[in-house]
Amino acid sequence: MNIYSRLFSIAAASAFACFTNVSLTLAATEAKPVEIKGEIIDTWCYLSGVMGGQDAVIGTAHHTCALWCAAGGIPVGVLDEDGQIYMVLKLKGEDAVAKSDNIMEIQSEVITAKGMHYVRDGVNYLIVEDVIASDGITNFNHEDYGSVPPNSFPKNFLSKQ
Amino acid sequence: MSILKKITFASTSFLAGIAFSTSVSLAEDFSAGSKAKEFGLEEEVKSTFSAKVVDLLCELTGDCADNCGDGNRHMGLVRDADNKLITVLKNGQFSFNGPVEDLLPYCNKKVDVDGLMIGDPEEFGTQFYMVQLIKEEGAADWNKANKWTKAWAKQNPEAKGKGPWFRRDPRVIKQIEANGYFGLGHEADVKYAKENQ
Repeated sequence: MNIYSRLFSIAAASAFACFTNVSLTLAATEAKPVEIKGEIIDTWCYLSGVMGGQDAVIGTAHHTCALWCAAGGIPVGVLDEDGQIYMVLKLKGEDAVAKSDNIMEIQSEVITAKGMHYVRDGVNYLIVEDVIASDGITNFNHEDYGSVPPNSFPKNFLSKQ
Repeated sequence: MSILKKITFASTSFLAGIAFSTSVSLAEDFSAGSKAKEFGLEEEVKSTFSAKVVDLLCELTGDCADNCGDGNRHMGLVRDADNKLITVLKNGQFSFNGPVEDLLPYCNKKVDVDGLMIGDPEEFGTQFYMVQLIKEEGAADWNKANKWTKAWAKQNPEAKGKGPWFRRDPRVIKQIEANGYFGLGHEADVKYAKENQ
């Protein structure tokens, strides 16, 4: 094969790879059964950095803000021990997760969930079929960070009691 | 180099160029022409593109609901340019508002959107979207993606009052009354206040 034939082959292979890549993204998303342990988090504050570093926007420090975001319909995620985030799309048969009280009930808790895992375009999505265990809230980081943001804990709290 | 070889080389280079540019276009830059406001967020990039509005559950699993779940399900965008499913986390408002109320009127329709891609792609493998402006594909005028708070007020007439919605929201109030501001109960709140206020 001469140099021009080789170059042509490389170009054709590259073009094929590109189009194959496109066609793969067109394929249906396949699911895999999983068991995931992680903390229920507010994805917006964690990913955007709007309230500060990641260590401050999880756990007790961020609990109230996480409730605000969940009530606001911002997707809730499970942050596992490897730092992977799974966007929760369904919780125990309830698909109304954009307005779910049940998901607010477990906000900031470390749960073990069984369900179906979908990956598309780099994002992990989770259909939670069952929450098989909860360790409750385990990250008491308000001891280090206070409330994040500060106005998520009332000023003059004691005088209002 | 003979004329035949020159033609062959030029053709080969052209094909290689197409392949490379296709690959690069999949890595994408959709910032041209964006009028999105900057927020100073993690790795934020202005991004305007055409897309189809989808119910995420339906798109991923085939479990579809009428009208994309009527506001109860999370929604996303399938971008025309590369068929990439974009997870939309936020609308253009400042106070903890998701995107569903702004996307819902366009369920399964083609739209143009403008906003910000955010998040560290090296850490998370992708970025996520904050939609600030939306319109039906090809329409002249943009609509601000700021419907959430008005929709909340309509759905929660009993919560009418002064102050931001999230301090009056019955669902938030219920959780805080039950578990406190840190989720650890009322005593933990009292202890924190005594030590810090």
